[in-house]
Amino acid sequence: MTILADKDTRVIVQGITGRIGAVQTRLMLDYGTKIVAGVTPGKEGQIVERVPVYDTVKDAADRHSTDASIIFVPAPSARDAAFEAIEAGIGLIVIVTERIPIHDALKIGSFGKKMHAIVIGPNTPGIISPGETKIGIMPGNLFKAGHVGVASRSATLSYEIAGNLTEAGIGQSTCVGIGGDRVTGVTLLDVLKLFQEDEQTRAVVVVGEVGRTVEEEVAEYVKAGSFKKPVISFIAGRSAPEGRRLGHAGAIIERGKGTAESKIRALRDAGISVADRPSDVPQIVNQLMR
Amino acid sequence: MRLFEFESKRIFRAEGIPVPRGEVVSSSEEAQRAAMSLGMPVVLKAQVPVGGRGKAGAILTSREPKETARLADKILHMKIGEFEVRKILVEKHLQVASEGFLSITIDDSEGKLVVLASSEGGMEIEEIASKSPEKIVSLKVDPLLEFEQYKARQIAKQVGFRGDLMLKVSNILWLLHQLFLKYDATLAEINPLVITKTGEVLAAGAALTIDDDALYRHGDLALDSEERIQDSIEKEAAKLGIAYLRLDGDIGVIGSGAGLAMATVDMVKEYGGNPANFLDTGGRITRQHLWNCLDIVMRNHAVRAVLVNLYGGINPIVEAAHGIVEFFDERKLQLPAVVKLRGNFEEEAWGILERAGVRVVKATQTEEAARLIVALSRKEFS
Repeated sequence: MTILADKDTRVIVQGITGRIGAVQTRLMLDYGTKIVAGVTPGKEGQIVERVPVYDTVKDAADRHSTDASIIFVPAPSARDAAFEAIEAGIGLIVIVTERIPIHDALKIGSFGKKMHAIVIGPNTPGIISPGETKIGIMPGNLFKAGHVGVASRSATLSYEIAGNLTEAGIGQSTCVGIGGDRVTGVTLLDVLKLFQEDEQTRAVVVVGEVGRTVEEEVAEYVKAGSFKKPVISFIAGRSAPEGRRLGHAGAIIERGKGTAESKIRALRDAGISVADRPSDVPQIVNQLMR
Repeated sequence: MRLFEFESKRIFRAEGIPVPRGEVVSSSEEAQRAAMSLGMPVVLKAQVPVGGRGKAGAILTSREPKETARLADKILHMKIGEFEVRKILVEKHLQVASEGFLSITIDDSEGKLVVLASSEGGMEIEEIASKSPEKIVSLKVDPLLEFEQYKARQIAKQVGFRGDLMLKVSNILWLLHQLFLKYDATLAEINPLVITKTGEVLAAGAALTIDDDALYRHGDLALDSEERIQDSIEKEAAKLGIAYLRLDGDIGVIGSGAGLAMATVDMVKEYGGNPANFLDTGGRITRQHLWNCLDIVMRNHAVRAVLVNLYGGINPIVEAAHGIVEFFDERKLQLPAVVKLRGNFEEEAWGILERAGVRVVKATQTEEAARLIVALSRKEFS
């Protein structure tokens, strides 16, 4: 098993006719993702990469059984798109769009919770269950199927860590990017809890960075003995200055809180192995999984 | 974007929150004139978009106009943090009976708004929290629910206000919440909230931070974001939509993604190099965007080597490769440069760079690229 998505997960693409939506649809189809429909208001009847396009999520969901939606629409319309998908009853929403206003993200998160939808992102690379499906924008060639779960705040850094694992012969069950923003749907801890229940996953790599407190939440949970599998972590931003946003809206050290040092300390204090370099991760995983 | 206090107060006033009478000045003559028209005594407050003004001695009270001019001279061009004071807010001095604190912010982990109130004010919230935690009332608000006025009344009452004061404070808190939503704020704070000897309630201190990603919805505010950036290269980068931060080293770094860029900076350090900057291209790479990123990095004359680290996920790295080649051709750059690329269409991108004579790292490991650029830069300097 994997978490969140597998080869049978049926996906719609919101914003499928856009430049990025169309390219990423092709790359997902190439990977084996079951894309059943696309949505772009006003473009019903078009076909993108052999996928039928509908005006509304409801139209698409009425004609095709749908488990998940991936959203590529521009930031100003992203809240609208996410609410539309949640209200249509889709259980898994992946929001790739970056620079969505935080107030919109707050509303999406709250509405998702009320409707029992799992929201990944915004500003996420999505989900990949290697060899089965990818509902996201990650380059598939860096991943391979296996037993290590990855939960990450950063997209490209998770590619690097997964690539390191793959080259060392260690496959992944599922890799989830929670998104780089200050407010995201699922957190690192939410993903960790899903990995807990997944038999295929035998260890978890948590890729963190400065800002927010999502790594500390993981540390607290592990320290309380609530998580039974080995956890390995890497934290980016050891040389980050205070009070400055580092690309991600969530990557900011405020009033001395959220430094890499404090996160590394909290994680180590919980018995989690923290790698000094991304390339050290596979070796530590091997030791702990032995 | 953190607003200047005078900008915040302009918005507060427009939304119905009482603020002290005041004028913004940028010279000692103007300060003196403002003092005379407001009536003595007055308070002079340095306008910088950071905290810590009080401790820096940039908030001063003046009892007569000549003194106002002298104090203004003292505050103008003072440095607070990295900011030079260019403007002063001159305000009518208030007859303070007591001070409180009201704030609205966002709880990242719960995804809710947080309303904080206290009958103590005039110091940092952390200080109040450690000195008298029992005096802070907090309430989390679901972002999908209205913040009804009764909630504001409950909070004002819990903080200890009664009668007419309770009504005034709760109304201000409710208005603060309304403007928090209206202006896409990430922080709206009144500190201190002043209760005067005549029973007036005013926002004597005001702070407002607007979400950078929502600024497009507030063009009517005509906020000048560059005014808030001190460093000239960072200013240029902001104009181009590039997340750039100048550091004090000599190896320029470009990463596609915040976490990767941070890790790249960390690894350059790990191998004994000294990064000149942090730069995240974001997920919207085009040929021109990458050209711009390199241009920004090279504006820092301390840069003696460049490391570019990109992944092709959402970013078209073939376009990025073209942008890199064009930049190096145009500028005839001789400095050591290493480009590490992985992901979709990687072979095509490697080919473009190799044919142009750019040093390419094809490994996954950022460490390898970092070690190489540090070694190359050392060879160059020796």
